[in-house]
Amino acid sequence: MTCRAALLFVAVLATLAAAPAQGPPHNGPRPADAGWFALTNAHVVASPGQEPVAATIVVRAGRIASVGSDPPPAGATSIDCSGLTIWPGFVEPFFASDVPALDPNAADQHWNTMVQAQRHALDGALVPATDREALRQLGFTTVAVAPSGGILKGNAAVILLDEPNANTPARIVRRTAYAAASLQTSRDGYPDSEMGAIALLRQMLLDGQWYARCQSALASNPALQAQAPQPSAVLQAIADGWSQPLWFDVQDELQALRVLKIAAEFERSAVVIGSGMEFRRLSALAAAKARIVVPLHFPDAPDVATEAAADRVSLRQLQSWEQAPTNSKRLLDAGLPIAWTTVRLRDRKDFPARVREAMACGVTTAQALAALTTVPAAWLGIEEHTGTIAVGKLANFVVTDGDLFTPKCEVRDVWVGGNRHVVNARKDRGLDGAWSWTEGFPGSGGGPPTLTIASDKVTCTLGEDKFETSGVVRDPSALACRVAGKTLGDGAHWLRVHREGEQLVGVCTSPEGIARPFRATRADAGATPAEPDKKDAKDKSLPPPSLDPLPTPLGGFGHLQLPAATEFAIVNATLWPSDGRGVLRNGAVVVRNGKIVFAGPAGDMPALREGATTIDGRGKHVTPGIIDCHSHTGIARGVNEGGQAVTAEVRIEDVLDPDDVNWYRQLAGGVTAVNQLHGSANAIGGQSRTTKVRFGVLQPDEMHLQGAPAGMKWALGENPRRANGSGTNPRYPNTRMGVEALLRDRLAAAESYRREQAAYTALAPTARAKVLPPRRDLELEAIGEILAATRLIHCHSYRQDEIFMLCGLAKDHGIKIGTFQHVLEGYKVADAIAQNAIGASAFSDWWAFKLEVQDAIPDNGAILHEAGVVVSFNSDSNEHARRLNTEAGKAVKYGGVLPHEALCFVTRNPAIQLGIFARTGSLTAGKDADLALWSADPLSYEARCEATWVDGRQLFSLAADAEKRQTIAKERTRLLQRALAAPKGRTARESDPKDAYWAAEDMTADWCCRTCEGERR
Amino acid sequence: MNPQHFPRLGLLAPILAASLAAQDLIPKAPPQPLPVVLQNAVLHTVTGGIVLSGTLWFFDGQIRGVLPAGETPKLPDGQQPLVLDLQGKHVFPGMIAGNSSLGLVELGMVRQSVDSDELGEMSPETLAMVAVNPDSALLPVARANGVLAAVTFPVGGLLPGRASALQLDGWTNADLAVKADAGPVVVWPAQASGGERGRRGSRPGGPGAAAAVEGGDATKKARARIDDAFLAARAWLTAWTADTTLPIDIRHQALAPAVRREAPVFVLADDLEQIESAVLWARDRELRIVIVGGRDAASCAALLRERKVPVVVTGVHRLPRRDDSAYDEPFTLPARLSQLGVTFCIASGGDASNERNLPYHAATAAAFGLDREKAFAAVTHDAAVVFGIDDRLGSLAVGKDATLFVADGHPFDLATKIELAFVRGRQVDLRSKHTELAKKYRERYRQLRGK
Repeated sequence: MTCRAALLFVAVLATLAAAPAQGPPHNGPRPADAGWFALTNAHVVASPGQEPVAATIVVRAGRIASVGSDPPPAGATSIDCSGLTIWPGFVEPFFASDVPALDPNAADQHWNTMVQAQRHALDGALVPATDREALRQLGFTTVAVAPSGGILKGNAAVILLDEPNANTPARIVRRTAYAAASLQTSRDGYPDSEMGAIALLRQMLLDGQWYARCQSALASNPALQAQAPQPSAVLQAIADGWSQPLWFDVQDELQALRVLKIAAEFERSAVVIGSGMEFRRLSALAAAKARIVVPLHFPDAPDVATEAAADRVSLRQLQSWEQAPTNSKRLLDAGLPIAWTTVRLRDRKDFPARVREAMACGVTTAQALAALTTVPAAWLGIEEHTGTIAVGKLANFVVTDGDLFTPKCEVRDVWVGGNRHVVNARKDRGLDGAWSWTEGFPGSGGGPPTLTIASDKVTCTLGEDKFETSGVVRDPSALACRVAGKTLGDGAHWLRVHREGEQLVGVCTSPEGIARPFRATRADAGATPAEPDKKDAKDKSLPPPSLDPLPTPLGGFGHLQLPAATEFAIVNATLWPSDGRGVLRNGAVVVRNGKIVFAGPAGDMPALREGATTIDGRGKHVTPGIIDCHSHTGIARGVNEGGQAVTAEVRIEDVLDPDDVNWYRQLAGGVTAVNQLHGSANAIGGQSRTTKVRFGVLQPDEMHLQGAPAGMKWALGENPRRANGSGTNPRYPNTRMGVEALLRDRLAAAESYRREQAAYTALAPTARAKVLPPRRDLELEAIGEILAATRLIHCHSYRQDEIFMLCGLAKDHGIKIGTFQHVLEGYKVADAIAQNAIGASAFSDWWAFKLEVQDAIPDNGAILHEAGVVVSFNSDSNEHARRLNTEAGKAVKYGGVLPHEALCFVTRNPAIQLGIFARTGSLTAGKDADLALWSADPLSYEARCEATWVDGRQLFSLAADAEKRQTIAKERTRLLQRALAAPKGRTARESDPKDAYWAAEDMTADWCCRTCEGERR
Repeated sequence: MNPQHFPRLGLLAPILAASLAAQDLIPKAPPQPLPVVLQNAVLHTVTGGIVLSGTLWFFDGQIRGVLPAGETPKLPDGQQPLVLDLQGKHVFPGMIAGNSSLGLVELGMVRQSVDSDELGEMSPETLAMVAVNPDSALLPVARANGVLAAVTFPVGGLLPGRASALQLDGWTNADLAVKADAGPVVVWPAQASGGERGRRGSRPGGPGAAAAVEGGDATKKARARIDDAFLAARAWLTAWTADTTLPIDIRHQALAPAVRREAPVFVLADDLEQIESAVLWARDRELRIVIVGGRDAASCAALLRERKVPVVVTGVHRLPRRDDSAYDEPFTLPARLSQLGVTFCIASGGDASNERNLPYHAATAAAFGLDREKAFAAVTHDAAVVFGIDDRLGSLAVGKDATLFVADGHPFDLATKIELAFVRGRQVDLRSKHTELAKKYRERYRQLRGK
């Protein structure tokens, strides 16, 4: 033993010596247990990547005293481990445990019960006995316990998976290892959407920082005490725990990216307890340097039993099912360390099999062992105590009878902090074989029967006769079972035998209770029959899935490689430039480096550079990419935060869903940019986001149009009044009067907020130290940006009175409204709109779906246009969004707008309304190459979109689409057959809540503001 | 015949000049005692091809002649006709909005204005025609785009009631009725949800092919309840025919025409399994059915063809069923059904308020592979056949109702203006609440500019 190790050893002893004093008084004599063992003759795998080495491990007082070849010390009890391998004990990094929620009415609690940052796992139930045992049997020795439920859930503690009792409580390895968090939503209050959960989380972290700053200011200047914030246990906990990592329990890979973004914003280190579907967004997670705790609950094969059932399963579901086992391997190959967890498994007993399945995809033994030991230990900050077998560390081991990762391997013992837990005692393998039952057989005739023992299986035959055997119990050295058969009379005979050399001896008791001595001799003397390999026989498992790169997004329409922005020209086509030039026949467009470099008469076209392609546009039409000024496409987990009447703090940009196939469908309708809007259940809704339809980019946030002006959804009329929900509305406002009052109130609040912030910012640093910092309020900050004209209002509205009201309110505050949305009675007050808003964004012809739209008319767009309003037509629907070209055509039909002006309703005008006309919205040299090629006049129903480019990349074309259809058909066929060949088990059903993947897949509801937005999803 | 000898109707000239604010103030079409001759027109007969420079004349609400260029109508003796020289404009039969809720639903989200869903899962005794509001503001709006007839469906439960075929102009329900009892509606429960599962009601208060989703045993039991209703109706009918003193059960009575195969049963079904099981049920019970919805109908084309079951495609403007379905799957469905030889027609599948967009559903089908004439037939003659009203509507042919419209182009084209419309020979006022509100507020801005 080296000198350093010896010193450490002394230190450990000292700690342990002090321990008993902490415990309760003993009920009876004090136990005195030396806890001094030597595990001899073992093969030791000390840490991941090391080969097994013959060694003796000495354990003393819970820790490892030595590892080596020295003979065991005289005082230690030796345990013979010959033939066995010892591995470091596993670490389970996440176990959710009930911790009582604190009384929300207590004065120092948070108003929102989703925020429970002050809870501590040690105040809760910790790990129930059945889970302790189940985890230990798998080889786990240490577990991090986190409080369950909520957004900021409280602190997690690391404890040993020992058996605490009245005298010895659970042994704590690390009191506070991390702060547990999630984006959980509430069923009956704020937040009821993911973006709401994100907003609340950000606000809480900001509040925690602010609270800490207030405290340090108070410490240095006690005179500020009078203005001190109300004491808050929650904020105190957030402030105190600032240096801890945040561990987020997430439901899918996009949520993982979202929480990592929040952690980065606050410079907090983070770990993600993943969904198992991380491979679907591999490169984005790699770029985020994610630390992911990977669950191994691979989905069951989708139900494809009948053609009709198979028909309902999407390719993405099939791909996700097939590829799930490759998740760990793909993450490791992407350079991300992983830890494994047993959470999310339907049955924890499946864990070893799932580990082997992951390893069959290429995870090495060293990587697997690291995922179970050193990686989680390091992330939990307990690597000094456990994770490897080294002197001074806790005596946490797994003792097995072979290679840990093979199916036949059996866990013998699990050592937890120096305590041995026998999982599977060594059994007398010598019992196996064929035995000739010479004495005590209850039947007669035909010579001695043969008794064959193979592990837990016993058969008994006599000539052609086969007897029934049942109730086999195999103890370490003995075996018991029952034998019955027609020739043996009614009832079963009890048998209890053990081995004496090459004989079996014991007792056979008849059903009547008459015991006879039993004796059998080895029938196949010397030859041990090959153990029937049950696992191999039953193993119909499929060959491991391929590790080829996967398309982004996963599914039928993703890209393995995003199409490049090539240089090309479309010549001899009819151009609809949307920049005041009307319609140009025989025109040409040239695109280079993602920009339009020329759009005009074909005769004036500049020479193309070498390698550029030319598309013959004869008979075809080219328009700017279509812009949808009212979209709810690609908004994940809740389009509307409905928990409050004012939710200016929530942001659509936080919940982009880049996987939504509707993006692709809209590209097929020529759409290249959209205004992603919050729903309309609130007078002041969330922040909107202008997004380009860059379907297939690796980083989801790259879809956002950087530099586009910020926006916010407001809503007037029936929806914020919640007039169309069932039952009474308990929430203000309940009238259009109340809507106006609420808006006025929040604008006033935002004004004072801005004043306070500005006053503080204006102070010299020395002066700032003398005052308490103002609290940052995300809601008022966003509303304040409207007053500062750095954020546009996009206001859901129908009736003329409410439109007129908001115009007045805007005028009073000296601001210009971005757009009125829907604005179906806009035609009645076009003059007010022209003066007070950048524009009006309407449906072409929807009406009569609710009371407030009974006066909607299809001439609305035309009349507004005539009055000088910048008018756009929008979709508010995944379906309509792909036909906006003909929606624009309705402005020609109803009201006689000139065709090229009508097209501007879905190109130039929405671009102006969103403040992006300098970038896109027309075929003008210098702008982004966002354009669509049509087979006919784009305003007619004859037109089919033939190709769509975004930033010069061709993201849709009929030819590429035809190819994709073939690939989809081929992949579906292959995967359906694979699913049919999958081992019989439970088949996943869409409705099964445990198969959250599937449920989440189809949640892309066709949201629309026109109808049911008064109700929460 | 010299047109100048006869009184003329000015093209585009409304019969009434008064400015009217709302539909219910717009008068219905006046009686037309004279024969009307439309000459020098392109006649889109649907069943007899396109007649260039043709003449069509009607009298007493019926088409009496469809004549090629050069032929003169043989008018009844002593009748002074109204002659319209259409100068090459087009005449089309009125379009028929199948699977509609016109007349039963005014404002989808205002419960008091929705009359389409009776209590309980079995209400075959209810008849749409009874509750159709002749003064619904929605009728003139649909009419203005050439949709001159509709088949209105009750909704809700398993047997929501009986559909009615109506024309979109008339003073009373009796005026409107083309076929009051077009047949019972059945909502055939689905085994499991399809691609549009979980989508929010895109058509509040309207009829929908998205049937009750049950799954497993519940589906079987619900289907059995539908079957029982028809078996019980048949048993009652047999007994009652033998002994008319038996008490009358109006639910059984309502199903009698369907049981006797005199009326079709309109079965709402989208899923493949749903369609197949409905067709086989109908075969076993000797019922004549129409599949309404038909999203997966192309996948069981042979069965539909063999059993001669027509399909009402409820909306071409729909989203594809599955994430990996072709983006244009719903757009190409009519073309695929046509290729596969399945009888079908096209409905808008939308809210009553959007029935005016019916021609555009057909136009999209045409852009995505369906022959243009076939596409127009799918909203006229073929719809009339499916709904059992082809004796009166759906084509320009002698003996059919003079329910037709005159336009300067094809109704599939957005630029087309519909200039005249006739329902049973009476000239319809093409104004609506929409045209009058537009006029009213254009006047406002005229006044503002005048300042």
